[in-house]
Amino acid sequence: MKKYNINFVSKFPISIIVSLVLVLGSLTLFLTKGLNYGVDFKGGAEIQVKFESKIDMGMLRSQLKDNFDSSSLQSIGDTDSNEFLIKVSGSEKNLNKVTDQITKMLTAKFAANNPDIQKTDIVGPKAGAELRKSGFQALIWALLMIMIYIALRFDYKYSPGAIVALIHDVVIIVGIFIVFDKEFSLQIVGALLAVIGYSVNDTVVVFDRVREHEEKDVKRSLKDQINSALNETLSRTILTSITTLIVAVIMFSMGGGVIHDFFFAISLGVVIGTYSSLFVAAPTIMFFDKFKGAKA
Amino acid sequence: MNRSWWYRFSFMLFLFVISVMAVIPTAFNFNESSSFPVKSKINLGLDLQGGLYMVLGIDFKKVYKDEVKNYMKKIEATLSDEGVMSSIGRLNATEAEDPRHSIIISNPADIPKAKEIIKEFFSFPLRLTGEKGSEIELALGREFKKDIEDNAVKKSIEVIRNRIDEFGVTEPEIVSQGSDRVVIQLPGVKDIERAKELIGKTAKLEFKMVNDDINPTLLNKWMTESKAAGIEYVRGQAFSVYVDKMNELARKDIPNGFELVFQKSLNKATNEVEQLTPFVVESGTNLTGDSLQDATVRVDQQNNQPYVSITFKAQGAKIFEKLTGDNVGKRMAIILDGNVYSAPVIQTKIGGGNAQITLGAGNYNDLLKEARDLSLVLRAGALPVELEFQEQRIVGPSLGKDSIERSRLAGIIGAFIVFLFILFYYKVSGVLAITTLAMNVLFVLACLVGLEATLTLPGIAGIALTVGMAIDANIIIYERIKEELAFGTPVREAVETGFSKAFWTILDANLTTAVAGLMLLNFGTGPIRGFAVTLIIGIICTVYTAYFVGKIFFEYYMDKTHGKSISI
Repeated sequence: MKKYNINFVSKFPISIIVSLVLVLGSLTLFLTKGLNYGVDFKGGAEIQVKFESKIDMGMLRSQLKDNFDSSSLQSIGDTDSNEFLIKVSGSEKNLNKVTDQITKMLTAKFAANNPDIQKTDIVGPKAGAELRKSGFQALIWALLMIMIYIALRFDYKYSPGAIVALIHDVVIIVGIFIVFDKEFSLQIVGALLAVIGYSVNDTVVVFDRVREHEEKDVKRSLKDQINSALNETLSRTILTSITTLIVAVIMFSMGGGVIHDFFFAISLGVVIGTYSSLFVAAPTIMFFDKFKGAKA
Repeated sequence: MNRSWWYRFSFMLFLFVISVMAVIPTAFNFNESSSFPVKSKINLGLDLQGGLYMVLGIDFKKVYKDEVKNYMKKIEATLSDEGVMSSIGRLNATEAEDPRHSIIISNPADIPKAKEIIKEFFSFPLRLTGEKGSEIELALGREFKKDIEDNAVKKSIEVIRNRIDEFGVTEPEIVSQGSDRVVIQLPGVKDIERAKELIGKTAKLEFKMVNDDINPTLLNKWMTESKAAGIEYVRGQAFSVYVDKMNELARKDIPNGFELVFQKSLNKATNEVEQLTPFVVESGTNLTGDSLQDATVRVDQQNNQPYVSITFKAQGAKIFEKLTGDNVGKRMAIILDGNVYSAPVIQTKIGGGNAQITLGAGNYNDLLKEARDLSLVLRAGALPVELEFQEQRIVGPSLGKDSIERSRLAGIIGAFIVFLFILFYYKVSGVLAITTLAMNVLFVLACLVGLEATLTLPGIAGIALTVGMAIDANIIIYERIKEELAFGTPVREAVETGFSKAFWTILDANLTTAVAGLMLLNFGTGPIRGFAVTLIIGIICTVYTAYFVGKIFFEYYMDKTHGKSISI
């Protein structure tokens, strides 16, 4: 078995700076450019249509522009899949009518291309606000319960480490979503929660080892204990990340349009989550341990 | 092998056999009539088999306004029975959550008596909120409002269910969400347009007397004035907005207790509003769709026009008889969902509680369909409140099929690569790991059958994540065993220590994820819940298979090699 002996703790100053830059950058983007919320959260309608044969996208665009001025067109999937997403904004009652009219227009004007309406989503502004609230609540409660669980099972000084790492992961993924202008939907909230699940799993395995060392050898410094714990669990950390990443990347690239973004977030989460278990959670424990020591 | 091992092995075998039995009907797509003992299959969610998902909301502000208006009518009648003359005052809805309405007592000396009467007969539904001059101001009782809220959702679900049942959808799901929303799921429904139409029809039927004292020139004046003031019905805008604005405009000319409503004439070809005919009608009524006994479609033999024949319940019939008797020669407006359907002149007092709703001119088939829909919604019960579409998701059947195929293929390829990787890395132990992983997936699927849970696309993602986490549990154990071996611990002992030391790590790691999963289940909606269900089931199966089943395998393995060697 390969033995690792990397001085992780000595790298912490660098990792803290890198993480801070990424987190602050993401927050800045969030506050300036903002998230590209999907219909789930901001309300509106989305029609996903797939044509059997290649269509004149310019004609579709002008058809939409002339008759439905609040609509926008976006092609999705591979270039030869002839799949489009038509988005409409407006009030609830209006949306219902406009989506009907667009559907009728598609079947009438593009009959030769056999349009197949794959999906229609209409979310009124009220429902949008409700979904935003419930998604946010789920995130906050998940973080809170994880914090309580870790405080009970481990020690209070571990809890902030896990939470800081999780918030770090979520914020950076959100930042990357903003950079790539990807749509933030209900599914992505689900993906973020899955990432939280994965990342906390990773972090707990490391914490578990630190705790073991603390119990075995009280005299060693926390710094040394963390270093050994990280090195001992490193082979497992890498193996697990590789296998999970394999599944996530394959689902991302082959799973089809619907789960594409979901697994984009998961793939990012695996990479960032692994990094944060190694380089973010542990320094936070050290910080809170010092804080605790100073107070006592 | 010791006795404990055989016990654990038998239990595992038992679970395995049950799970295989549970999964077989789904795997081979058996139909209901097959002779196989297990009948249930994994339910596919809307996103996988197509269908309609809707969230409807209730606008309680409007409900309160209507309720308080209807009560004014009742109070006026009760007061007059007790010898106190009064007239209906104005609605004050500045506080939309708690609208007020005034009633004007003709002789101010009667005010104390009127208050007594209102207290005696209406203490539950109404409360006194103020008094000014000859006016008494009233609002809905607090308990009564709560009652309305509780019943509105319950009754709406009941009514929608009745309508859907007549429409014939297998396994519809109609449930409440929060205090003011109804969620409807119709998997596999083909004619989505019809379903939407039926659900959306509020069919709030009211009979109100038309005030024919209003000079027709006044009506015309309002129409021209409104056009000049820029008040116009715009296509796509809520019609009620227009009606509210028009009432505002005509308010000074309309006597208290009356309001302006419209009859819409639609252009049959374009389905757009062609003409609006104004009517001034009473603002409250005590004859509504609730008083109906039955509604059926009939065809008039003379002009071959379909119409809806309605029968009132005993109480409603009495009110109807009195109303028609008191107002011979006047017009009665039949109002459906706030719009005048027709306003026939009452020729004679109608006893026996039978009446007809004619539908106007048009193509025979269109009229017949309209008559059928109307009779259906009237019969199945009118919705107690108006529901507004808040969210609507329609998934075509092809999208789901495509998604299942693609994610299944991706899943198989992903699993295959991971299996190869594990095999290469852990050798013989890798084979054991793969076996536990395969069993894990089998157990998860069996649980889905057993719990009659619905598999959605995010659910498939949940299973994929489970496989990832299950591998992790195996890796934690194996790396621990390797560590022990590196210390020079004898093989059998290393395996034992590896398992026992890894146990709490695996449990803690999985439980923290489960905690997050539970929060998702609790706070999430729709797709997120689907994900949470498979994730939680997956975690339970992972802890069992990766740790307990893995241990059974390893004990057997150690027995075979007599604890002398291990390939890991």
